[in-house]
Amino acid sequence: MEFDYSQFGLSTEELFSHVDNNDLESEKITAPRYSYWKSVFRVFFRNKFNIVILTLLAFVILMSYLYPAFTDYDRFGSLLDMEAKHLTPAAAIEKFGFHIKYIFGTGGAGESTFDAIWYGAQISLSLAFICAAINMTIGVVLGALWGFSKKVDSVMIVIYNIVANVPYILLLSVLVMLFRATFWTMVFAMTLTGWLGIAYSLRVQVIIIRDREYNLASRCLGTSTVKIAMKNILPFMTSIIVTMLAAEVPGYISYEVFLSFLGLGMNDITLGKLIYLAQNAMVTPGWGWEFWCPVFVASIITIVLYLVGQNLGDASDPRTHM
Amino acid sequence: MLKYLIKRLIFGIFAIIAAMAIVMLLIYTFMDRDLVFAKDPMFTRQTSNARFVYMYAKWEEYGYLDYVPYTEWLQDLANKGEIDEETRSAAAAFGRTPEEDSEVVQEYAARFIEDYQSQGYSIVRKDAELLGGRLAAGGAQVFFAHRDIPLLNRLFSYLGSFITVDSIHYSEREDPAGVGVENPGVTFTLHDPVYGGKKFSPAIIGNGTEHKYLLYFTSDFPFIHQNIATIKLGTSYTVNKGVDVFATMTQSQGSYVLSDTTFPTGLQEQAADNLHEATYSPGSLATGGEFLQARYTDDYTNVDTIKQSYAKLGFSFVIGIIAVVVSYLLGVPMGILMALRKDGLIDKLGTMYVIFISAVPSLAYIFMFRAIGDSVFHLPTTFDLEKGSKLMYVLPMISLALPQAAGTMKWLRRYMIDQMNSDYVKFARSGGLTEGEIFRKHILKNAAIPIFNGIPGSIIFAMTGAIITERLYSVPGAGGLLTDAIAAYDNGVIVGMALFYSALSVISMILGDILMAVVDPRISFTEKAR
Repeated sequence: MEFDYSQFGLSTEELFSHVDNNDLESEKITAPRYSYWKSVFRVFFRNKFNIVILTLLAFVILMSYLYPAFTDYDRFGSLLDMEAKHLTPAAAIEKFGFHIKYIFGTGGAGESTFDAIWYGAQISLSLAFICAAINMTIGVVLGALWGFSKKVDSVMIVIYNIVANVPYILLLSVLVMLFRATFWTMVFAMTLTGWLGIAYSLRVQVIIIRDREYNLASRCLGTSTVKIAMKNILPFMTSIIVTMLAAEVPGYISYEVFLSFLGLGMNDITLGKLIYLAQNAMVTPGWGWEFWCPVFVASIITIVLYLVGQNLGDASDPRTHM
Repeated sequence: MLKYLIKRLIFGIFAIIAAMAIVMLLIYTFMDRDLVFAKDPMFTRQTSNARFVYMYAKWEEYGYLDYVPYTEWLQDLANKGEIDEETRSAAAAFGRTPEEDSEVVQEYAARFIEDYQSQGYSIVRKDAELLGGRLAAGGAQVFFAHRDIPLLNRLFSYLGSFITVDSIHYSEREDPAGVGVENPGVTFTLHDPVYGGKKFSPAIIGNGTEHKYLLYFTSDFPFIHQNIATIKLGTSYTVNKGVDVFATMTQSQGSYVLSDTTFPTGLQEQAADNLHEATYSPGSLATGGEFLQARYTDDYTNVDTIKQSYAKLGFSFVIGIIAVVVSYLLGVPMGILMALRKDGLIDKLGTMYVIFISAVPSLAYIFMFRAIGDSVFHLPTTFDLEKGSKLMYVLPMISLALPQAAGTMKWLRRYMIDQMNSDYVKFARSGGLTEGEIFRKHILKNAAIPIFNGIPGSIIFAMTGAIITERLYSVPGAGGLLTDAIAAYDNGVIVGMALFYSALSVISMILGDILMAVVDPRISFTEKAR
């Protein structure tokens, strides 16, 4: 039966075309593509506060790594100038004329506190980043293994209990005595046993996830252990690892300050060493700047690092990606 | 449960012993022993062979090695009666070079070398150093054997002497050549002679033992005191010379407290001597002169003194324990409030505070607390044992409590928020329970369990003191003992402190688990229940 379409003002042209059945195409799901790391950064940048602290972090890192490259810092450069020691910012600017160097005053050897801080920050930050990188890598890999294998667990628990009972300060003093207190000695000392704590906390997390039903199901279906580790467990760990990293990096800076206070720190100028050296100046009225400026900058650096890490850790939790 | 705990305890002890072995290896093998002399004025004054001998003698005192001079060995033989005095003095006169030795010396020197080499000792013989035909200063010839103490020997002899039980044969062992004491034994008295012999106060008095009073009563806590078994952690060499580490930590400090004291001879005097803690010191009465002879009737003349202030451990513990209590009193309500008003003002302020404490170096914020306490509240910032008021405890305590409170706040908030999202809370709500009820009876109870786990540890570790806080406020506490000992190469103290710390950590972990199981009946450590 033919209709005369033209009487209704419609064209007689065929509106639909035939498509062959395609098995491959029918499997595709037409949903927006989900990329894990893209979502992480989308969530991270949704909070405007994060942009502010990220800028601050960029500033701190640039200052620590670029500023010392453009200035000559000589701690004992003006040692002989008796007038240049222990100056407040106002007095220093009055004496030397306005220069960014003198906005924090001068220290006990007549050096600019501002320069000293960024020199120290460079070494402290490098130490923290390198130690965190080494400890996190070893800690995460061994921690995952530790959580997975019951055999490894029984051995590692014993090692952990023994090493945790050796006073860390003693270990460090012996290492410093053996190799002199250089940058790489500190890295070695901090990474020798530092990864154990990280590995232990990761082990606990892996054990919690390990025996969940979906992993059991995966194993029943014959998925290899490596694949279970990479696809089923590692995604759960990402936010935990990032959160740990957030606490680790400022932790090393704080610890370095603590060690300097005990006289076990490095010979180079670091933030900790600066604070330690200015300790005595703090009790003298008018010399407080020498102490509080490095403390203030060190606090800013650690707080910024901590916040960036925490918020990145929050953002890397897939449950916040909705 | 008991079986599990015993197993844990055995594993803990094993871990402690292994840790001690590592500590000993670090100190005695890896540490550079020449550093001992870095600050020693005596060392620089010595020259030539005398300096060489001095080094070995010192190393023996620091516990690195066993050092036996040839002459000392001969003296030992003479004491044992193997050789007579004449042979001894003839054999002891060894020549400036081995070629100059007399026949007697040659015979005994060969025996000495053979004896000690078979035991793994190294023999050192140095010729006299001559300057123009005469002995140079300190250049006398030396002849001795030395051996590094093997790690296992060291470990086991240390652990073996950890708890010493007093015996009536102590004086014989201590003073083999002397007469010792007459009729060693133990007597029991109902009237303690220290109190004048009239007041009723039972005591057990030993004769021939190390301590004179084995058991006695006083009016001070814990009222009943014993000296039968004493803990010895290792003798100090530089920090507190000749005194055991445990005694260093537990001895009272400050100025003497004088009281009416009746000495064994009946002499009454204002003195600070603690006669109850008298220990045996061989031959001290005979050589002690009139002073001792007027007061004592036997060789138990080595007495402690009573001082007015706490011991090192006491100061750390008093400050630490108040700080722990304050930190929980602050941290727990704050943590609950933060969780209750999540994303509210209190939560935001609290989170800021937690971030501040976790991120800022501890040294920096303790200095800040001190500066604020000093300038705003006018609190004393240094400890003064003589004329300080109770106010001097405030700042150290606050400096310890505030950071600890931040930890409690952080974790309690975290646990509570995690509990709030769990299914059983939704179920309780759908069952019609009020929010307050859910909060108190379900969320808080579950969230507090991990907090309970940490309580024994924080109480026990209050004892060890905090290094930074104690140093900043010059508190005479136990916090700096380990670092001081490391700086002074006081090996005995380092080993003792390491044992002390590791024992505390094992105990607090076990107590934490017990407390957790007590609070939460679902937690069980027995194999069956799991």
